[in-house]
Amino acid sequence: MHVRRRLELIIERMAAPRACKILETSGLTGYTVLPAISGFGGDTRWSRDTDMSASSDMVIVVSIGSDDKVDAALAELERLLGSHIGVLSVGDVQVLRPERF
Amino acid sequence: MDIALATLLSPIVLFFLLGLAAALLKSQMTIPEAFAKGLAIYLMMSIGLKGGVAISEGDLGWDAGLVMVSAVALSFLLPVIAYALLRLTTRLNEVDSAATAAHYGSISIVTFVAAGQAISAAGLQTSGYLVAVAALMEVPAIISALIIAYRGAGQGENVAGSHRGELAREVLLNASVVVLLGSLIIGWISGAAGMKAIAPFFAEPFQGVLCLFLLDMGLSAGRGLRNGWRQLGPGTVAFGIYMPLISGLLAAGVAALNAMGAGDAALLITLAASASYIAVPAAMRLALPKARPSIYLTLSLGITFPFNLILGLPLYIWLARAISPGAS
Repeated sequence: MHVRRRLELIIERMAAPRACKILETSGLTGYTVLPAISGFGGDTRWSRDTDMSASSDMVIVVSIGSDDKVDAALAELERLLGSHIGVLSVGDVQVLRPERF
Repeated sequence: MDIALATLLSPIVLFFLLGLAAALLKSQMTIPEAFAKGLAIYLMMSIGLKGGVAISEGDLGWDAGLVMVSAVALSFLLPVIAYALLRLTTRLNEVDSAATAAHYGSISIVTFVAAGQAISAAGLQTSGYLVAVAALMEVPAIISALIIAYRGAGQGENVAGSHRGELAREVLLNASVVVLLGSLIIGWISGAAGMKAIAPFFAEPFQGVLCLFLLDMGLSAGRGLRNGWRQLGPGTVAFGIYMPLISGLLAAGVAALNAMGAGDAALLITLAASASYIAVPAAMRLALPKARPSIYLTLSLGITFPFNLILGLPLYIWLARAISPGAS
């Protein structure tokens, strides 16, 4: 097994395309977007069935990559989170096929 | 008084109240999200088709064109008034005020549909071109509010990952605009003969589907209120009630200037008095991401929509009758 970094970004749905564009331009070879159901943050509860426009829905973007690619993405994602609602975390993971990341 | 009572006791309002009460009482009842979105598209297709058929039967003249131009101008103007009032009477910052103002210049298509039912129940006639007016009034308020925000609060910074055209695409090609205008054009082209073939799906079940949708709207409004009421101060809540009345009065002036019939005037007043909660919130998340959705969504969906549905509609019909020539 080989060590790579896993980036997990919980972000509002409307900003997800912006986040995905950052991941792509940073050289990350893939990502997955998952729907989030409900949550609490910033003194506000939210859930998918509250907002008719679905503009307040949150999604989770998961990507795995090498240090240099993840670091490149982090700088831009930090700028993105200066404007949009979201939480970003990064951790080490073990992968079977390192050449794919 | 009869209209007020009839509106309040209509199935659509009662189903809305059922959903609202269920959500406020923390019922676990939900309507699946995808199903609710399907219902919204169905309703927009149905009223678009109906409007298009009416236009195909000669319902579009110079007077309709003048109403459209006036309505667009009104939609540009309303956010300016709303922004000034929010800054004067609430503690909302410039960005939150601009984003909220955009919602109050744009329209709520569900309020428009409910108004159509109430106006019809009151025995008044409406014109098909008002559907086009509704679609046209979706967008100008967004532009107006963005000008206010960019000039006043300097919110025009380049957000990381944003790309050219994404906002224009969201604003001009959102589901409401595409489905409403698309259905209107299809109804116009296919005419009454075409509508006859699809009427069993788009005309007869309309009222029942509207009840189902209003039940979901009640749930959404109730949950929005439950989750977001802490974000709203008394001044903001008051704005959610008096702003529709100001917008309605201005629209009544426009209707009187254009000598609109009572039914059409009531629809225009309702459009101006309604606040968006589908098209504008999405545009605001892209254009003004620092604005808090818990404020503008809770206000438009949790305060203004129920107010308009329960108390506003009879008031707007009364106002329309009062200003329209020859209305009884």
